[in-house]
Amino acid sequence: MSPRVIGANLVVSIKSFYREKSAMFFTIAFPIILILVFGTIFMNQDNGSFDLYVQDLDQTNSSAQLVKTLQLNGRFKITKVDPAINATQYAKDNKLNLVLVIPGGYERSLVQRMAFRDPNASVAVTYIYDSSSSSTSTKMQILQSVFGVVNQGMSGQPPFIRSAETSILTKKYRFIEFFVPGIIAMSVMTSSLSGAVNVNAELRQKGVIRKLSTTPITRTDWILSNILYQFILAVISTIAILLVSYAVFHVSLQINAWLLWFIVLEVFAFAGLGMILTRVAKEAESAAAAANAIMFPMMFLSGSFFPLEMMPGFLQTFARILPLYYVNEGLRASMVVVDNITALRYSAIIGVFATVVFVLGILTTKWEEGK
Amino acid sequence: MTTEPEHAIDVEKLTKRYGDLLAVNDITFNVRKGEVFAFLGANGAGKTTTVEIIETIRTPTSGKVSLLGMDVTKKKRDIVPRIGVLPQEFSSFDRITVRETIQYYSRLFGCRNTDIDGLIELADLKEKSKEQFKNLSGGLKQRLGIAIALVNDPEVVFLDEPTTGLDPRARREVWEVLLGLKKKGKTVFLTTHYMEEAELLADTVAIISKGKIIAMGSPEELIESNANYLALTLKSVDEKACEIVQKMGFEPVHDNHTNIKVRVEHADDVKKILNAIKEAGASVLSLDVRKPNLEEVFLKLTGDAFREGPSEGVPE
Repeated sequence: MSPRVIGANLVVSIKSFYREKSAMFFTIAFPIILILVFGTIFMNQDNGSFDLYVQDLDQTNSSAQLVKTLQLNGRFKITKVDPAINATQYAKDNKLNLVLVIPGGYERSLVQRMAFRDPNASVAVTYIYDSSSSSTSTKMQILQSVFGVVNQGMSGQPPFIRSAETSILTKKYRFIEFFVPGIIAMSVMTSSLSGAVNVNAELRQKGVIRKLSTTPITRTDWILSNILYQFILAVISTIAILLVSYAVFHVSLQINAWLLWFIVLEVFAFAGLGMILTRVAKEAESAAAAANAIMFPMMFLSGSFFPLEMMPGFLQTFARILPLYYVNEGLRASMVVVDNITALRYSAIIGVFATVVFVLGILTTKWEEGK
Repeated sequence: MTTEPEHAIDVEKLTKRYGDLLAVNDITFNVRKGEVFAFLGANGAGKTTTVEIIETIRTPTSGKVSLLGMDVTKKKRDIVPRIGVLPQEFSSFDRITVRETIQYYSRLFGCRNTDIDGLIELADLKEKSKEQFKNLSGGLKQRLGIAIALVNDPEVVFLDEPTTGLDPRARREVWEVLLGLKKKGKTVFLTTHYMEEAELLADTVAIISKGKIIAMGSPEELIESNANYLALTLKSVDEKACEIVQKMGFEPVHDNHTNIKVRVEHADDVKKILNAIKEAGASVLSLDVRKPNLEEVFLKLTGDAFREGPSEGVPE
C-alpha cells in the first residue's frame, strides 16, 4: 500500500467529480430533492393540523363553547362561516371538503337536556362533505371522538374504558425522522455501487486500466483509492442530507459513531458488489444497467421510503434478504430509537455481507491483461 | 551483481496462444540498447501481444523474454519503473488537464523531479497544458501519451501504434516528437503498420505476419536484400505497349487504366523497354523509375495485399 499513490488517485477522482456537474448533481442534489419532496408531503400529515370550517347557526354562548372545545382538541384550524350564507354552496364554491353546521336551537336543547333531564332533547350537527377527499374521513373521525367525549361527559358517569399511552420511543418521532436514515442509506448505496461500476468498467473500456497496469500502482492501491473516494462522497452526501433535514425540517436525530460505521460497511458492501458486476458484465453499459437493476428494487423493497408494514407479508420476508434493509434498520436503530443492541446486530449482518462481497470483488477485479 | 546485458530486450522462442488461436508463433529477436526497433505488421499479426508480453502485462505461453536482463514473468516490480509505455489507443481521465495528467503519472512512479515543463515542451503541448483530456484531438492525446510514457525517464520506451487513426498532419507532428526522442538516445520499441513510419524512425525493422517474424534488418538492408530491382512505371501507355513488354519476358502489372508497372533488374532494361515500345510505334507519355520502398518489400514478403484488416483477434 502506498499513501502517495492513493493520494494521487484521490486528487484525480475529486477533481473529476468537481468538474463533472452531473455527477455532483446525482450525489448531492438528488438525495436533497428527495428529502425536500417527501419531507414536505409527510410533514403536513405529521403536524395533523386540519382545516375545519364551522357554521354556527345558533350564535349562543353554548354553541360558541362547542366550537372552542373543537379548537382545544388541537387537531383543527377552525374557520368560521357566516351563518347568513348557504353552507353547501359555500363549500362548493371554495372547494372545501368538510363544513360542520351547528343547528339553531342548540342552546335550547342543551338546557332542556341538562336542566330538565329530558332524554328526547338532542341536536343533530350536519357534515357537508366531499367524500372524494382523502382527509375528510379522518376529520369526521376526530369530530366523532370529540362529540363522544362531550356526550359521555353529559351522562354524568365516569368513562369505563380509559386509555393510557406508552410510546416505545423515548421521544415522539415524526415520519421525517424515519425517512432521513433511509435516504442516507439509499444515497450511499447508489453512489458506491454506480461509482464502482463506472470507475472499473468505463476506465477499463477506455484502456486507462491498461496504461495503469504498466505503472507501479498495484491492484490493492487502486481498489483502496476507489473505496476511500467512495467513502468521501458518501460522507459529503450524508452531510448534505443532514444539513437540509436539520435546517428545513428541524429533525431530531442522534448523530454518533454508528452512522460513520454503517457508512463504512455500506461503502465496502456496495463497492464490492459493483466490482463483481463489472467483472460479470463485460461492457460498461451493461454493467451500469445491471447496477440499476439491483438498486431500484432494493430502494423500494427494503423500506427506504416507507415502513415495511405497508407491504404484503411475502415482500416483508423478501426485504430481509436485502442488504439495504439491514443498513436502513441499523441506521434507524442508531439514529432514531438509539437502540445500540439492535444497531450492533444489524451492523454485524451487513459487516459479514460486506466482507464476503468485498473479498469476492477484489478477487474478480482483473488488473493484468490476462493469462 | 548482475552484469549489464548487451541487449535491452531479448526474446527467445516466444509463443502465445489464446485457445485455438496462435497469436505469436515461436519468435526470437533482440533489441540493442539505444536503437529504435520497429515491429511492422498488419492488424492481427501479433504485434500488440508481443509488446504486451515484454511490458509484463501479458504472460507468455512459452519461451523466454528478458528486459534489461530481467525475466519479464518474474521481475515485474523491478521492470516497471524502468520502462515507459504508450499503450494502443491510449486514453486517460476525461476531466483532468494535460499538466495534471503528467503530474499524476509522475506521482504514481514516485518521481520527485520529473521535468514536467520539459515533457510538455518535448510533446509540443505548451499551449494545451490547461486543456482537459476530453477536449484534445487524437494527435494531441497521443503526444500526451508519449510525454506520460517518459515521466519516469525510462530506459526502454514502448510505443504501440502511436499514429494509428491520426490524420497525415497529426501523424507528422507525432513523428517530430518521436524523432526528438530518438535524438535523446532512448531505446524505443515501436509497433506500427505504417511502412513510412518504420522507414523514417527505425534502426531495425522486424516484419511480423501471422505470429511469425518473416524478415528483420535495417530498412536499407531489407530493401536491398528483398527487393534488388527497380520499379518502373510507364504512364499513359496503350494496350500494345503492355504486350510488347510481356513479350520481352517481363511481368507488367496494370496500375490503373493507362499505367503499367514493371519490375526490372537493371537500369539497362529500362532503356531496352523504351526502345522496343518506340520501335513498335506505341506511345508512352512519361515514365518513373525508382528504388522500391519498404511497402513493396512488405507486400512481397507477406504475399498479400496490405490493407486495414479486421482488428486484432485477441481478447482484451
